[in-house]
Amino acid sequence: MTAAATPTGPRVVVVTGGSRGLGAGIVQAYLDAGDIVATCARSITAEVEAWQSDPETADRFLFGTADLARSADAEVFVKAVIEKWGRIDVLINNAGVARDGILGLFSDDDIDTVVDLNIKGTIYMSRLVSRRMLAKGSGSIVNISSIVGLSGYRGLAVYSASKAALDGLTRALARELGSRGITVNSIASGYLRTEMSHGLDEGQLKQIERRTPAGRLGYPEDIARVCQFLTDPAGSYLTGQVIVVDGGLTS
Amino acid sequence: MTTSPADVERTVTDFLTRIEKLPEGFGDSTPLYADGAELDSLETAELSATLEDVHGSDPYSSGEMPQTLGEIQAFYAALPA
Repeated sequence: MTAAATPTGPRVVVVTGGSRGLGAGIVQAYLDAGDIVATCARSITAEVEAWQSDPETADRFLFGTADLARSADAEVFVKAVIEKWGRIDVLINNAGVARDGILGLFSDDDIDTVVDLNIKGTIYMSRLVSRRMLAKGSGSIVNISSIVGLSGYRGLAVYSASKAALDGLTRALARELGSRGITVNSIASGYLRTEMSHGLDEGQLKQIERRTPAGRLGYPEDIARVCQFLTDPAGSYLTGQVIVVDGGLTS
Repeated sequence: MTTSPADVERTVTDFLTRIEKLPEGFGDSTPLYADGAELDSLETAELSATLEDVHGSDPYSSGEMPQTLGEIQAFYAALPA
């Protein structure tokens, strides 16, 4: 038996939460690779407006306003992608939110906000898109989790729990969908230089930088490169894994 | 493709043929699961997605669990025109 043939031509890639920060970096990487990209977020940003107006990307980029904590929003967004391009080859579950604080002082609202988007939103999207991939018999899903889901971090209990949940989802879905040519992996991202650095202050970020063998914090491009690797159609034998991308911090 | 009984039958038989589970003498009362086409849960999800792709909706996503082709056809027949 040989590895599956590698299809050619642009893929249809969905990146959730791609309007800024890490998600925007992932969108840019797939656009640079010539793929068709759809993303969604609760509001439009300058990055989205640039992709919509750039003649190089306008015809192969779609933005949908959506709050993925709501199942109905996820459904409308996925339907829009299917109506426009007929399929989804790659799903990057990136949308997420962090709330920091000692758990004993956490409000119900903050717990719901993190759980609803990070876990339920990812599950809604995976359910909708994996159905399409099942009908097609191929596809790749990447869940963006975090090293705090593996190691924990003081003040990020709920966020850490939500990211560990994504790793569990990854392993279960990989088993469920593997026989149909669909790969599912997680990227446990380290600390990035983005606007959502988990509410860490500059002092904490400097401390993390000092402890990181790579000698720096990560950039969205570091994660986007691994997304590209995990969703390469030739990589069909790599599934169910949590890939740590943290500059060696947790090694 | 329309949601006529003939088109729905074509979708289901094409699907069962593709996964090599089309029972001999398959008809609208042949069970889709045990003692019939013997679809497992993943294959049922694939059938659900295929029906949605081809006909725009499907009974499984509406909370139904049709047991036969006839019940799938009945779902589409009951949809508002």
